[in-house]
Amino acid sequence: MKKKGTILVENIVFIILNVLFLSILILFLLKQGSGTLVLEQVYSKEIAMFVDSSISGMEVKLDMEKGKKLTEKSGVDFGNAVIITGNFVTVKFGEGKGYTYAFFNDVVVSANAEKDNMGEYTGMYVFRIKEDRRGT
Amino acid sequence: MRDKRGTDKILSIYWFVVLTLIGGGVFAMVYVFYGPPYDVREIESEIFAGRIADCLSRQGTLNPNLFVEEGFNQEIGNTFSEDCNFNFNVEEGYGDEIQYFYKVEFYEVTDLEYPVFSFYGGNNNWEMDCYIKKENSKEYRKLAKCTEKRFYALDEDKNQHLIKILSVIGKSEKNAKQ
Repeated sequence: MKKKGTILVENIVFIILNVLFLSILILFLLKQGSGTLVLEQVYSKEIAMFVDSSISGMEVKLDMEKGKKLTEKSGVDFGNAVIITGNFVTVKFGEGKGYTYAFFNDVVVSANAEKDNMGEYTGMYVFRIKEDRRGT
Repeated sequence: MRDKRGTDKILSIYWFVVLTLIGGGVFAMVYVFYGPPYDVREIESEIFAGRIADCLSRQGTLNPNLFVEEGFNQEIGNTFSEDCNFNFNVEEGYGDEIQYFYKVEFYEVTDLEYPVFSFYGGNNNWEMDCYIKKENSKEYRKLAKCTEKRFYALDEDKNQHLIKILSVIGKSEKNAKQ
């Protein structure tokens, strides 16, 4: 009788450890794909690429819902997640310094997080290509 | 009956060794996939070449600023970057080294071997990277990415020209694993 009980406990421990291992593995994979560092880099390069392709007068909307979720988790204001200074775009979803990438198109760009009627962020960012730096 | 507890324990240890190996493998694969930065230089150099082409020609006609009475404007290379709204400032990590290069060559349709006029801008140290045969190794991935674009256009006198554009993006620190 005692022997059977020992085997049962061993089996349960074995199954729990297996489940734990698989859960950690899945969580690790999910976290890697949507990590702050990866998303900051992806968004900043994406923004730089479409700014390079754009001409003055254009307006571009970018869905940054994943980034919004990260800012909510880290307590950062989503409205300050994208900063464009000169020809550099910096995307920051956490407390770190964010990720900066340069674009070669010499235009003035404004970046604003879109809000709904209730004043809540929709997860979209609106980029307006105002004019080139020579003002033409 | 034989006591199989010893065998079971060995099997369990073996099983966890296997799980550790699988876990290590998955970790290594994820690191290899997400570790290196996303390389956008090819797209960037294509966009850059497209912008240069837009600046040289509109609807198949070459920009009149490219010409003076005697022929091609030899001074165009000095002002082309500014006229086309290119800003070559780059992130802090690169220091003062410009990470862009472009070269424009004009050919007569009767002689497509030797250009009749050419000019360039940016950092010409990057040009050589375009002529090195690229292999899929770490060192080669650090080389600049290049795009060559060709198109035909007419000047104001309806003479046809072939224009070749070479655009190059360095920026390996931000786009390739160091």
